[in-house]
Amino acid sequence: MAGEEEGEFYLRYYVGHKGKFGHEFLEFEFRPDGKLRYANNSNYKNDTMIRKEVFLTPAVLRECRRIISESEIMKEDDNNWPEPDRVGRQELEIVMGNEHISFTTSKIGSLVDVQSSNDPEGLRIFYYLVQDLKCFVFSLISLHFKIKPI
Amino acid sequence: MANNQEVDALNFEDDDLMDEDGGVDVEPSSSPRAPQPKLKSAITSAAPKKTKGRGFREEADAERHSRLADRNFESLGSDGGPGPQRSIEGWIILATGVHEEAQEDDLQNAFGEFGEIRNLHLNLDRRTGFVKGYALIEYENYEEAQNAITAMNGTELLTHTINVDWAFSNGPSTGPFKRKNMRSGRTHRSRSPRRRY
Repeated sequence: MAGEEEGEFYLRYYVGHKGKFGHEFLEFEFRPDGKLRYANNSNYKNDTMIRKEVFLTPAVLRECRRIISESEIMKEDDNNWPEPDRVGRQELEIVMGNEHISFTTSKIGSLVDVQSSNDPEGLRIFYYLVQDLKCFVFSLISLHFKIKPI
Repeated sequence: MANNQEVDALNFEDDDLMDEDGGVDVEPSSSPRAPQPKLKSAITSAAPKKTKGRGFREEADAERHSRLADRNFESLGSDGGPGPQRSIEGWIILATGVHEEAQEDDLQNAFGEFGEIRNLHLNLDRRTGFVKGYALIEYENYEEAQNAITAMNGTELLTHTINVDWAFSNGPSTGPFKRKNMRSGRTHRSRSPRRRY
């Protein structure tokens, strides 16, 4: 699939909110040099920030690109997605080939939120891609560092 | 910019005269971290990109660019050289091209040959509920993992050709290391899963 093998690649995902327990967020990024960075800040009960980084092989980056390509997220647009609000915000930034997206939206609780939005098809793609990416990153981080990422 | 340089030059010349309290002035401009590196700088390139999304139109909050720019990220030590990196309890390999209907048992049977599998992650596609297409496998020893890669890479598992390689590396995926790990022509790539509903 186009864009899978060649060219630049960068991905950053953020989800968080500011509330009673301060700024609580989860964020990870895949850098062009293969470095995966993962940060998870929750001030609830123990207020430790988890910050981990590890270099991935090209094989892992290729798989990440495949997941993104097959989702076809690069064809979407966040124009009609719910805007970030007090409940929280999500950000997804991806550079792949000569395309660069930087989408923002609110937190999505469930598919009901997706269905009731103004762009259910696009938002559904985002919703599932984010879950698949989190799942991939959590596996990588938890296997490498032996921590429970959530 | 021009201002900074002027200040720098001044401080430099007047160094002797300002011995007592000059240090305070010199500090900020001489700090190597003065221009806070932004995330964006890591991804700039010559080719213009098609951009899309509200993220470009919003007033960028400074915080966003500093969260991941921090240096205090924990990692397992590495020698920085090429090659795979050991994880905290063993060696992790990645299998890709895994059939969407593969079961953990299929991978156990195929990869258990090379040593005891300490951990196996066979993650599912959140939309379809079928296997996403990759598996992460942990062995205790380097040799077990290396043997699994050598023997299983390019073989068939449930009619799909799988690729098997290390998951973690000691350093950046550029230069000779990258070339060594790039396969020239991929043999077969599984089709995308059908829409289920």
